[in-house]
Amino acid sequence: MTFDSLLIHYGELSTKGNNRKSFIDKLAKNVRHAMKAFPSCLVSGNHDFLSVSLNGEDPDRVASRLQEVSGIQKISLVAKVEKDVEAIKEAAAELLREEENKAFKIEVKRVDKSFPLDSYALCCEVADHLLDHTSLRVDLHDYDLLLRITIREKAAYLSCKEYPGLGGYPLGMNGKVLLLLSGGIDSPVAAYHLLRRGIKIETLHFASPPYTSSRVIDKLEDLLSALNLYQPSIRLHVAPFTKLQEAIYAHVPEPYCITIMRRMMLRIASKVAARKGCLALATGESIGQVASQTIDSLYVINAVTNLPILRPLATLDKVRIISDAKKINTYDISIRPYEDCCTIFKPKKPKTKPHLDDCLYYESKFDWAPLVEECAESLETRVLSSEGEE
Amino acid sequence: MLYFDCAASTRPYPEALAAFLEASSSCFGNPSSRHEVGYSAEKLVERSRESMLSALGLGATHRLVFCSGATEANNLALKGTALSYRNRGRKILTSPLEHPSVLNALKALARDEGFEVSFLALREDGKVDLDDLRAKLDPSVVLVSCMAVNNETGIVQPIAEIGKIVKTSRKAFFHCDATQAIGKIPLALSDVDLLTFSAHKFGGVKGVGALVCKKTMRLLPQLDGGEQEYGLRAGTIDAPSIAAMEAAFKKSVREQKENLAKVSALAAYLREGLGKIAEVRVISPLDASPYVLDFALLSHKASVVVEALSERGIYVSSVSACSSKSTSSSYVLAALGYPPRLAENPIRVSMPVETTREEIDFFLASLTAILKETFPL
Repeated sequence: MTFDSLLIHYGELSTKGNNRKSFIDKLAKNVRHAMKAFPSCLVSGNHDFLSVSLNGEDPDRVASRLQEVSGIQKISLVAKVEKDVEAIKEAAAELLREEENKAFKIEVKRVDKSFPLDSYALCCEVADHLLDHTSLRVDLHDYDLLLRITIREKAAYLSCKEYPGLGGYPLGMNGKVLLLLSGGIDSPVAAYHLLRRGIKIETLHFASPPYTSSRVIDKLEDLLSALNLYQPSIRLHVAPFTKLQEAIYAHVPEPYCITIMRRMMLRIASKVAARKGCLALATGESIGQVASQTIDSLYVINAVTNLPILRPLATLDKVRIISDAKKINTYDISIRPYEDCCTIFKPKKPKTKPHLDDCLYYESKFDWAPLVEECAESLETRVLSSEGEE
Repeated sequence: MLYFDCAASTRPYPEALAAFLEASSSCFGNPSSRHEVGYSAEKLVERSRESMLSALGLGATHRLVFCSGATEANNLALKGTALSYRNRGRKILTSPLEHPSVLNALKALARDEGFEVSFLALREDGKVDLDDLRAKLDPSVVLVSCMAVNNETGIVQPIAEIGKIVKTSRKAFFHCDATQAIGKIPLALSDVDLLTFSAHKFGGVKGVGALVCKKTMRLLPQLDGGEQEYGLRAGTIDAPSIAAMEAAFKKSVREQKENLAKVSALAAYLREGLGKIAEVRVISPLDASPYVLDFALLSHKASVVVEALSERGIYVSSVSACSSKSTSSSYVLAALGYPPRLAENPIRVSMPVETTREEIDFFLASLTAILKETFPL
C-alpha cells in the first residue's frame, strides 16, 4: 500500500449551481491536457473530485504541473482504501510504517454519513492501532504528520500531504478577452491573473518599426510561450502602428501624445475584439504607475470604448507585480531592453490629468478614422502553443 | 543585402573556410599529441605561425601565441606584461579611445594590482599627443598601450612615432592593438613589443586570434593549464581555426594594397554623399582608415535609423542604444569632445571591398529617405 494517487479538489466551483457539470468537464479537459507530459498518469473524475493515478510517476513533479492549472483549490496525495474500519486501520499502519518516532494527528471527515463510526470514534480506532503497531506518538498540537481520512461514497481516502492549487476557475469558463500586450513587465502578469480566473486571452501588440525594434516580437513570443503553461495556445495579433503614431506625433501637442495614443489603441483594440469574439479588453495598467495610468488618464482613455476593460493589476503595487512576474518566469524576458511603443515617444512632460474636452479638440484636427481602420485591418497574427500542438 | 558591418565581423573568405574544413577532416588530432595524427596538426599550426610572423616581418624577433581572439590577446598582453614586470614600475599609459578589452583590463590592473593608469592627451584630430607622451613617459612607466586603428571612428594612430618614443625609455614596453588594422593598412611594427589581433576581422573565422610578442619578454600566463603556446596560453590548440586564420591572413596581406585603394575610393565616394545630407555630421577624419566611416545624426535617433536601414536590408552599427531608458553613448566620441547629442547617435559604416558605387548610392538614398520619413526624436 502506497500513496499512489493525487486527488484534485475543485475550487470555487462548488458555488456554481447548475453550471457545475460544464465547469468540471472543462477542468477535467485542462487537467488531461496538463497530464500529457506524464503519459503513465491516468485521470478519472466524478462529481466531487478528479483523481490522477500516478502509476509510478513522482508525486511532487506531477503535483507541481497541476499547480499551474486554474480552478484547482488543492491537491492531496492519497491512498484509496476499502470503506471498512479494519481495512482503514491496517492501511494507515502500513502507509506510516516507515515514519519512525514522529508525532501524529488524525483528522477524519465523513462525506458519507452512513459510515458506522462517527468521525471521533474512527479517529480513536485508527490512532489506537497506530500506537500499537508503529513507533509513532500522538501530539494534537505539535505534530509532524497529519493523517487525513476522508470517507467518501465509494471508498476511504488516506492522505498525509497536500499541495495548494492555483485557485480560480478552469480556463475557458469565463469567456475570452483581448489583452493589450506591450512586452513590459506588467502585461504578462495581467495575463496570468486573467488566466487564473479562467478567462481565455488573445493578445494584441502595437508595433512601430523602425521606432521599435523588430526583436520585440521575439520577446513577445517568448513571453507567450511562458504563459502557454496556463493557456496551451495563445494568439498574438501584431498591429502596424507606425503611421498612426507618426500622425499623433505630428498633430497632437506633446503632453497629450501618450493620452491620445492610448485612446487610439483602445479604438483599434475594440474593433479587433469585436472581430475576434472578445467581449472585453484587458490591460496591465496599474493605477498611478505612470502618467497614462492615473485615474484622470484612465477616465479620458476609457471614454473611447463601451467594452469593459479588465485591469487585474489596477491596485497592485509594483513590487507585487514584479514578484508575480518572477514567479511565472516572465520577468527576465520582460526586462530585455528593447524599445516599445510606450517608451520611445515618451513626452518630456506627459499630462497626468488630461481633460476629455482637450482630447476631443486635438482629435478633431485630423481625420484619424482611416488610419485606425487600416491598423485594425492589417493585423499579423501568429499562434503560440506548447510543443506539438495546433 | 548590404552588409556594412565588417568592423564588427567580416564574412569569412572561401579560402579560409576551405582551409578550416580541410584541417578539420585531415588534421583533427591534438597538436600536442605525440603520434602521427597529432604531428600533422602540429605541423599545420607551426607552418601557420611562421608564415604569419614572417609576413609581419617579425620572424626574427618575435613569437606568435594563438588564442581565442583579440579580447584574450589584449588581456594576456597587458596583464601578462604588467604583472610580470611589476618590479620595474607601476604606471601604464594608454589612450582614452582604446577598445573595452584594453580599457577594462587596465581598469582591473588598477583596481586589483595597484597600477596607475594614465590617459594620454589627444590632439584635435583624435591622434595621441606625442608631446604629452614624452612628458608622461617617466621611469615608472612599464607599459604603453595604443591601438593602431580605432574601431568606432577609424582614427589611425602614429604607431611608428609612438614606438620610437616608448623605446627612449629602457623600461617601458609598447603594446599595439591592431585588430582593425591587420591586413588592411600598412603598419610600421619594428618598435612594437606586443601586437594583438583577431582572425574574424580579416576574413577568418571567429574564436581565434593572436598575440605577437618579443621573444625576450616573459609574460605571466593568464590561464593555468598545459604547456601549450610557449607556456603562455594553456588549452588544446585549435588547428582548423588557425589554418583558416592563416589562409585569410595570407590573402588579406597579398591583396592589402589593392583593397586599400578600392576601399579608399569607396569611402571617399560615401563621404562625399554623406556631406550632402544636412542631417548628418561625418565624424571620421579624412586620414582615417577607409574601412571605418563613422557619422553622427544631428536630430534623429541612431537606433531608429539602424532599425529602419535593417528593414531595407542594410546592416550597419551604432552604439548599443536599444533602449531610451538607458541611453547609451559612445565613450570614444565623448573622449573626442563631441557633445552628448552626437555621441549618443553615431552610425558606423564598414564596407567590404566588393561594395559598388551603386550600392553606396542605394545606401545614401535609403538613409536620406529614412531621415525624411521618420520623426526626429
